[in-house]
Amino acid sequence: TKDLDTDPLVELTLEELIARDPNAVQGIVSRLYGSFALSGPDGPGSSDISDDAGESPFLRGIVNLQDFTADGIKNRWGDDGLDQLTTTSNWDENNKFFRYLYNRIYYTIPQCNNLLSVLENVDTEGKTEVTSEVRFIRALAYYYLIDTFGKGVLATEENFGSSAPLPEATRAELFAYVESELLAVVETLPDSNDYGRANKAVGNMLLAKLYINAEVYTGTPKYTEALTAIGKVITNGGYTLADNYVSIFSADNNTSSEMIFPLIADAITSQSYGNTTYIINGSSSSETMTLADYGLTDGWGGHRASKGWYGLYGDLETTTDERASLFFTEGHSYEMNDYKTWTDGYPPIKFRNTNALTASTAPTAFSSTDFPLFRLADAYLMYAECAIRTSQNLGEALGYVNQVRERANAEPIDAADLTLDFVLDERGRELNLEGHRRTDLIRFEKFTGSSYVWPWKGGVANGTAIPDTYKLFPIPLQALEANPNLKQNNGY
Amino acid sequence: GKITDKTTKSPLLGVNVVVRGTTNGSISDFDGMYEIRNVNMGDVLVFTSIGYNETEVKVTSSTLNVEMLESTELLDEVVLIGYGSAKKEDLTGSVDVLSSKDFNQGSVVSADQLLTGKMAGVRITSNGGQPDSAPNIRIRGGSSLSANNSPLIVIDGIPVDNTNPAGVGNPLSLINPNDIESFSVLKDASATAIYGSRASNGVIIISTKKGTSGEVKFNFSSDVSVSNVANNIDLMDSKQYVSFISQYHPTFTNLLGVDDPNTTATDNPLTAAIEGRIIGDTDWQDQIFRTAISTNTNFSARANLGGKIPFRGSVGYTNTGGVVKTNDYERVTLSVKLTPTFFDDHLKVSVNAKGLFSDKNSIDEGGALGGALNMDPTKPVFDDSPSNRFGGYYQNTIVDGNRLLLDGQSNPLALLKQRQRPEQVARILGNVELDYKLHALPELRAVVNLGLEASKANIEETFLDNSISTYAFNNVDTDINTNYLFNPGVNYSEDQDITNTTLDAYLVYTKKFEGFVKRFEVQGGYSYQNFKNDGTSVRYKYNEETGIREELINPNNLNNRYYNVLNLQSFFGRTNIDLADQFLVTLSFRADGSSLFTKDNRWGYFPAAAVAWKIGNAGFLEDSNTVNDLKLRLGAGRTGQQDITGAVGYYPSSPLFEIGSSTSQYLSGVNLYSAKAFNPDLTWEKTTTYNVGLDFDLFANSIVSGSVDFYQKETKDLLARTAVPPGQALSDAFVQNVGETESKGFEVNLNIRPISTQDFNLEFNSNVGYNRSEVTSLKDVTRITASESGLPTGTGVSLAYHAVGYQPYSAWVFKQVYDVSGDPISNAFVDVNGDNVINNDDRYYETLRPNWTFGFGLNLNYKNWDLSSSFRGQLGGQVYNARRLTSGWIDKAIPNNSNSLSNVLDFNSDAATTSFVNVQGNIPFSDYFLEDASFLRMENIVIGFRVPNFLKDASLRVYGAANNLFVISDYSGQDPENFNSIDNNFYPRPRVFTLGLNLDF
Repeated sequence: TKDLDTDPLVELTLEELIARDPNAVQGIVSRLYGSFALSGPDGPGSSDISDDAGESPFLRGIVNLQDFTADGIKNRWGDDGLDQLTTTSNWDENNKFFRYLYNRIYYTIPQCNNLLSVLENVDTEGKTEVTSEVRFIRALAYYYLIDTFGKGVLATEENFGSSAPLPEATRAELFAYVESELLAVVETLPDSNDYGRANKAVGNMLLAKLYINAEVYTGTPKYTEALTAIGKVITNGGYTLADNYVSIFSADNNTSSEMIFPLIADAITSQSYGNTTYIINGSSSSETMTLADYGLTDGWGGHRASKGWYGLYGDLETTTDERASLFFTEGHSYEMNDYKTWTDGYPPIKFRNTNALTASTAPTAFSSTDFPLFRLADAYLMYAECAIRTSQNLGEALGYVNQVRERANAEPIDAADLTLDFVLDERGRELNLEGHRRTDLIRFEKFTGSSYVWPWKGGVANGTAIPDTYKLFPIPLQALEANPNLKQNNGY
Repeated sequence: GKITDKTTKSPLLGVNVVVRGTTNGSISDFDGMYEIRNVNMGDVLVFTSIGYNETEVKVTSSTLNVEMLESTELLDEVVLIGYGSAKKEDLTGSVDVLSSKDFNQGSVVSADQLLTGKMAGVRITSNGGQPDSAPNIRIRGGSSLSANNSPLIVIDGIPVDNTNPAGVGNPLSLINPNDIESFSVLKDASATAIYGSRASNGVIIISTKKGTSGEVKFNFSSDVSVSNVANNIDLMDSKQYVSFISQYHPTFTNLLGVDDPNTTATDNPLTAAIEGRIIGDTDWQDQIFRTAISTNTNFSARANLGGKIPFRGSVGYTNTGGVVKTNDYERVTLSVKLTPTFFDDHLKVSVNAKGLFSDKNSIDEGGALGGALNMDPTKPVFDDSPSNRFGGYYQNTIVDGNRLLLDGQSNPLALLKQRQRPEQVARILGNVELDYKLHALPELRAVVNLGLEASKANIEETFLDNSISTYAFNNVDTDINTNYLFNPGVNYSEDQDITNTTLDAYLVYTKKFEGFVKRFEVQGGYSYQNFKNDGTSVRYKYNEETGIREELINPNNLNNRYYNVLNLQSFFGRTNIDLADQFLVTLSFRADGSSLFTKDNRWGYFPAAAVAWKIGNAGFLEDSNTVNDLKLRLGAGRTGQQDITGAVGYYPSSPLFEIGSSTSQYLSGVNLYSAKAFNPDLTWEKTTTYNVGLDFDLFANSIVSGSVDFYQKETKDLLARTAVPPGQALSDAFVQNVGETESKGFEVNLNIRPISTQDFNLEFNSNVGYNRSEVTSLKDVTRITASESGLPTGTGVSLAYHAVGYQPYSAWVFKQVYDVSGDPISNAFVDVNGDNVINNDDRYYETLRPNWTFGFGLNLNYKNWDLSSSFRGQLGGQVYNARRLTSGWIDKAIPNNSNSLSNVLDFNSDAATTSFVNVQGNIPFSDYFLEDASFLRMENIVIGFRVPNFLKDASLRVYGAANNLFVISDYSGQDPENFNSIDNNFYPRPRVFTLGLNLDF
């Protein structure tokens, strides 16, 4: 009866893996980082989760949920589910786009827990640092859970493998957990690490993001703590602003001095319909543009910025701000009268699949441009915001803001101009389409209600109020069905 | 006396012996021996056995040995029951038998088609009208949620694999229907438990024809069929479409038709008028469909080689054309069967070999069927302009800088014509069975059956020149007129070897007694099954610089190998006891081990017990002229299920890592390794069945016969692929043992033979089955998604659920609100719970699968003429008209990221309404899309004529047949019969007319 112990040949056990590749643990770590950009282990058509390989990757979810729901950019496809996000209307638990991000978050977390369990029994070089990295990756996934859905189970290596449904943890409990995790690992992360991996600055950046939003997440502000953490990123990280703004969003941005933590893409070796391919192909159409100009072979004709974004630069004809030139305007109208019409609104050309600093190669089906999840300009603007909110270090704050502006050839501002509203606008000008906008608008209390409206907010061309319950997304039906301890967010 | 076969001299069991004109009778035993009392010299004994000519012999002595001649009719009195056989009247379980005279006729390519609609409680639903279409066979509704619900199929004692070779759609295409002698379908657990683990969904035992006769006999049969699509989907034609676009989307009229090169006029998108365009008129469905011709030719020979070795051999050739162009299927089957006996019949040997070669041109069904639905009817099929790049096929394009890009849909006819995907399979199924009756102890038999099922499959997808699918660009060349290229040749290939080995070995001890216990039989044995599926493939990519297709090398798995092994081992035992010729008792037990589970969860234990009371043999009925046979059966048993390979592969219980492919790497300098989801707690799904049945055979000449069965099934530890609690497994969904279901049902088979004379025979057969299942528990949760119920609205939206308190696979829907004229109001649903909010709490469940299935037919013989016909259908059940979801709304026509329009359903007919502008949010979950799936289908009608005095010693029959002549149903779409109840891109079941001949000589 020993034939009943069948032995796979293609898939490997942990022991086989380690015997075969001394770098096996690094390979599993690579997969954990990759879980934010890739769809699955066997090319862009494979999926780690039961959802659509193309539509569901983590980064695509971040763009859909953080940027399309906000003021700067709208998608026109009319795809069921995505359309409701882009018009911030009719959100419900049946919308699969919420499920996609939720499932990706809860894909990454147990994968991390699995490796942490494995590491307890494996001897590998740099075990402490690797363990810290894995805990960082898990904290990053939890950060998105806190930010978008507000609650969920706390799955850790302690309860890994238990099958009884875990209890629901509140937003505050998750916050406390992620905070303690980051505080525990940030000092054991390496000072510098391979490209695409976490170091101390990356850990501090995430900690700062957690703190800067603490008031939203827990009701208790932690701007001082945020300022401390972000100060460490700026002072100790060794990053400098890139000379050329566009270079941060080009195919050769892996050399950028500004990049703190990228989500890697490569046209040949790291393909995904949910990495920057989604942003770049999605913002292009041969109906009005020449795809090859942006290094593309396919244009999906989906995303266009609205005046909610380019309106922040003032008169686009006269402004010196280089960031204002990163919209494709020819054949497009300024107003987005119909968000489903391709030529209404300007496609953003901030991200592109061509090189900025060297000659470009042939257009490709997939993007080679890395996504700057954390970069120095964001840190500068976070510093400024925390400084204003805590009324300290305002001089340094002004300096950082003006460094960001001057790099883009925008007019520097005076101390008197340095207000919270200005910082929010500057974050839009500098960071739109980088996955931060909805979080920013909520933190500045501009997302829900009617104090600030943008084109197609609430499903109306000129924008209208949306309820406060929209500060959180609905818990997807699949999760509620699978774990009866989970309860729906208010309003859904 | 002893009864033997005239040609083989082997003893005949189960022969009825009656004194003519009386009811005084007996039956022969396993050794052909019979005994009959109260017989006077000069009486005439009538010997009857189905499969043999009736023989009458005058009694001249107290011992009367009789030889019987095999008739061309088939033997159906002895029924195969798994590791043995039994006389039908001695069966204790629910077993249906179908022999060749009752098979469906006409256009029959695969074994399942012989059976469709013929047995109560056996629902066979083809996946569509493909020549190689897979049948979904459900006996009593199937028990599992995600595990395999197909019955176990046993061919000549060899349980065959559930996994098809690559390129084989239908596992039953392995065997030539002309070689099949009979089917035994084991339905209740007392019958199936002997097969244990794979028998939860019933067992279909197929036995093939044997050679026996002394003289060499040949059979030649041939037929030719014509098939076509009975009705197209009701789309708009060009004229209707132009008027629709002008009315609803006037700014898109510039996209209708093609540019007129003879005018400089351009269409002003702001007006509904159409300027400077040539409007074509194409019915894209007609373009992809064809009238297909099929032929089917078989030759077989039966002989007794050297007077010692009964032999049958056959060869068959089938060439079937699908009704979608280029969908051709060719098959050659060979079979050889030898059944010699040695040592005074102590050793019986059966050697079987069946070979199959098939070659199918597989088409991209979604691309062709979906494409024909979507493609704008104002576009031409061909484009003979000199600038056409695509082999003369029209294709919508757009200029992008210095490249002419494809835009929007590809021409569906070109997709069919420019691609070839031959899927070739060579398959062999062979077994050697040795059945040895010990010389020292003749009551003991030892049986060994060795089986091998092996196949080699090869798939090679190639494209022809100028194929749209291989259009690429050379990046070095910037001239729009020359910078493109095509890549004819191989685009994908796959090789696969399947090697399945089986071994059964068992001992049977049979002892007969005088007195109360008449017979006692006990058997025990061991079974080994190993399924190995080993394959490689070659994948390609297009070079981004040169546009040339090149091999995509995955350094971590050089030939993209897959290797799947499933091992099953079992120990089994059974005992049969006959008490006073009136009561039959069967007890069986099986222990099964499966490699899919961890050591701790590996073994499942499956007992069964049954008793039967032959009421017909009871004293008070023994002399009855009305009751020929009456038997009450009671049975209970447990079976198991472990086959979840379709949902989660072959190694679902252990932690494994997968190496990332060359396109799924991340950090540079290291290989990417992914931990695969697994569930170490997986164990057997168990089904307990209780069955009560009554078999009856009434009046002279069996005018009324049949059976009635009631059953109840309880399945626990259901294997289902379901969402796991978030964060608690390595993916969001996996297979778990989740809960329990309960089924109840009954089945009636009824045959009426009102006329049976020499010249005129008339027989009606009918069956009806009722099955209702209910999910009774899902452990922690109240409902789980039915993963196979995806709606074609993007991906990841499911219609059906398994919910506690409802039938498995029920649609969870909103109640649609309609306006006064009866049209649905978009996104308006009934607030069922009255809380003024429309949300999931307002959804309700609608049963999708039918509870009632039925079939009926007649066989009529008058002199040399024969007529047979069969009908089948279902009552209840719903089908989701997904055509309306994909093509039944106004904005569907306009493009969302291209410049090509899409056709829509005809809003002027009842195919769809203009109520829906889009189908967002909860609209797909409206019960508007559900329609009653009840139907009655005329499966076939055959008229045959046996040519008298054709040739000496030869018999010729010619016949004409029609299959699928009509369907009666209220469904507004094409065909209500749909296994998963979601009607989308369905390959139409053809209507087929056949002419054939059958020559015996």
